[in-house]
Amino acid sequence: MKTPSPLGAWAWFAKTRVGRSIFRVGPPQSNLERSQVMVSSFLLHVQPAKVNRHSLRASYSFGLGLISLYLFFILTVTGVLLMFYYVPSTTQAYDRMKDLQFVVTAGLVVRNMHRWAAHLMVAFVMLHLCRVFYTGAYKQPREFNWVLGVGLFLITLGLSFTGYLLPWDQLAFWAITVGTNIAGYAPVVGPELKYLLLGGNTVGQEALTRFYALHVIVLPAIGGLMVAVHVWRVRKDGGLSRPDEPVENIQSIPLGQLPTNKSYGLMELARGTTPQVGRDPDDEVFSWPHLIFRELLLFLIVTAVVVFLAVFWNAPLEELANPIHPPNPAKAPWYFLGLQELVSYSAFWGGVVVPALLVTALALLPYLDRRREGVGRWFARERTVANTIFSICLATAVALTIVGTLFRGPNWSWVVPWRTPPAITEDH
Amino acid sequence: MQKESVRKFYGWFTALGLLVGLLVGLGYYRDEYRPWKDYQHRFIKEEIRRATTPEQRMLAQSTPVQVRQILLPELNRVDRCTTCHLAVEDPTYGGYPQPLAYHPLHDEHPFDKFGCTICHRGQGRATTVEDAHGNVPHWDAPMLPLKYIQASCGQCHESSDNPAAPELARGEQLFETVGCRGCHKLGGVGGIVGPELDKVGARRSPDWLKQHFVEPSAVTPGSGMPPQKFSEPDVEAIVLFMLSQTGADLPGFYASMKVIPSAAQGQRLFQQKGCIGCHSLGGQGGKVGPPLDDVGLRRKPEWIVQHFRDPQAVSPGSVMPRFGFTDSEARALTDFLLHQREQKAVLSIPALMGPVDRGREVFRKYGCAGCHGPAGKGGVPNPNAKTAQLVPALTYVADGYTNAELKKLIVNGQREIVALDPHRPPPPLYMPAWGSTIKEAEVDDLIAYLFSLKPKNEDAGF
Repeated sequence: MKTPSPLGAWAWFAKTRVGRSIFRVGPPQSNLERSQVMVSSFLLHVQPAKVNRHSLRASYSFGLGLISLYLFFILTVTGVLLMFYYVPSTTQAYDRMKDLQFVVTAGLVVRNMHRWAAHLMVAFVMLHLCRVFYTGAYKQPREFNWVLGVGLFLITLGLSFTGYLLPWDQLAFWAITVGTNIAGYAPVVGPELKYLLLGGNTVGQEALTRFYALHVIVLPAIGGLMVAVHVWRVRKDGGLSRPDEPVENIQSIPLGQLPTNKSYGLMELARGTTPQVGRDPDDEVFSWPHLIFRELLLFLIVTAVVVFLAVFWNAPLEELANPIHPPNPAKAPWYFLGLQELVSYSAFWGGVVVPALLVTALALLPYLDRRREGVGRWFARERTVANTIFSICLATAVALTIVGTLFRGPNWSWVVPWRTPPAITEDH
Repeated sequence: MQKESVRKFYGWFTALGLLVGLLVGLGYYRDEYRPWKDYQHRFIKEEIRRATTPEQRMLAQSTPVQVRQILLPELNRVDRCTTCHLAVEDPTYGGYPQPLAYHPLHDEHPFDKFGCTICHRGQGRATTVEDAHGNVPHWDAPMLPLKYIQASCGQCHESSDNPAAPELARGEQLFETVGCRGCHKLGGVGGIVGPELDKVGARRSPDWLKQHFVEPSAVTPGSGMPPQKFSEPDVEAIVLFMLSQTGADLPGFYASMKVIPSAAQGQRLFQQKGCIGCHSLGGQGGKVGPPLDDVGLRRKPEWIVQHFRDPQAVSPGSVMPRFGFTDSEARALTDFLLHQREQKAVLSIPALMGPVDRGREVFRKYGCAGCHGPAGKGGVPNPNAKTAQLVPALTYVADGYTNAELKKLIVNGQREIVALDPHRPPPPLYMPAWGSTIKEAEVDDLIAYLFSLKPKNEDAGF
């Protein structure tokens, strides 16, 4: 410790009586301590003491899942701050937005951070899903974690959608009106589902109360739990996917055939693909510092980007919600605009059948596609068929979203964004 | 090897940590630096300069720099205008440049009860110049230009009985005479050809309204409304009246202005209670009691009020009955009578007019002139109508229709107007069905009036 640094301070503090009681291990100096620091810390122990080099390669995972997690964390912190000021009332919510902007210290910046982080989280969860698909990472033994991921994708959309209503401006009101109308197109359950969501037939105080409760309690609680399980399963399923899963090399005794006259440590019971029983130890490095420092770096980058966006761009806030003056066109949030575009062709097929089929297909994917080839590599040649089908679906969704976002004007008519529409003239 | 790869992180941590810190600092600085603080410092400096005693100086120096606001729970408003406009209540700041100017003539509308935005509009909650003055996207109520400020009086006061708002009264009078109600509903009365106007003042900007009167189709493509030939002051007056129609549902204290004693309320009472049965105004009415045109000259207001309460107390031997007017009603009637000496009020007194005169009133009341022209002389364009692209004049209606035919036309209207060129858009103006709006007796009077329009010296024969 020649120069003072946070690590140096920590080393000094960890040597004191109090410090030792808190941290148990100081900055690790030996490989033993590098293992201990991971295992003995609550925050770190969900990660292995050693990690495969392949998992550290940024060009493999791009850290997309971790970025989503960090955004979720930023959203939680800023969301709690916003809750200190927000009132879920149709007469007060909009005024509270104005007060955040005009009289609450840094209120607007916090709201901006929440807004941009929310949009980014939807985007990064989608990108994460694409990464996992294109690397075939949903295959055995990670099938169920993929299903959890699809669930988290839906939770993310739900969180963003419920939060969209809360400012109670025109944008919020009509986006939710359009969005819940799409839900209403489902046969049999559609109208009931819409009524259940809104607490009525139109967006009003009941809807605001419900969306608020869903947004701040129900969905974050479920989502947070699922994230915990999702991350835990990453560890239990053998870390990030990588080529040539070693499962077939492992010989394990079925649990029922274990001798019963001795006790077992966890290591002996652990099965399958945990790192300890994986490949050649030379492929692995200590998580501290190689993984942890990279994670910390990524967190700083994500924070910097979100704060940067929040300082220079304000979250939109339109006029107070007005149920009798719909904007033309009234548009759903951007991630539903592909769906809205589909609905404009056919409410039933576009609003119900296609999205239901897509979500079902996504959830069942690992059980349908059971071939083991091409795991752990981007665009593996062995997976050309699956990748092609997925790419076509993805391109269609992106194209529909772009059309719905940029190319649709009043009455959902075709407009070209870089040309102002000609004024409507009528000769007399 | 391992040490090397770790060391490079420290540089990145430092750089990114600094970047995050810098961005947070920047965000905080922009949040902390607000122009209103400059204005408050300027005000405090001025107060210190003016201080004559050490105590005053102490007081001025200890003025806190903080957001100031007027809470108006009844109006559901928070006006923070006084955060910058600190001296609005201090007459010694008269003539100062904004934002430190004094607001004159404000005694009857105390700030703590009215705030600022209920009259001036703008965004009361905002604390920056552009946002507060409301000239920003997504804010519907930018500040009302001062020349239209009388429009705000109309939210609480009857247009016709506020002497402080003559332009508003003139605008209303124009509205009622040029026939806007022929096509537009206001307060539930009027036609259905054009949109209702009850909230038009909150929806439309002054510029839009003005443009709309001069050349309607310029701001509303395809509008069938004929361009209005107003003089410049008349356009401003009627725009001002339109701006007063905000449809704001104000709570009791403010709305009560419309029901407290006023000349307009007195006029309504005068008609309802049948005063005209015994007294006359403008030569019309009964002869049992004295004419009331100049009663305001002959009697003091207190005398008239007392007379309404108990006629015999101030006028022994009077045969006028005691009507049991409430105090407020007696004051309203008195106010009305006092106004008679200033202006010859045009009273509609249906019971004593002939059918033709009553019909003329009906013609005016429902805005028929809006399409058929003053006195039914026509001339209002109706593009692509077969009738020379004009709304037909009514002058010779007596020749073309029987009484029953005309009645049917008025009651049922005529939705389809025959087009000159069937390939072009149909004529925008049409005859609404008035059956549910105009009472049957009124229709009869109206027909009598329309038949009377035919010039007397012309022969019916061809």
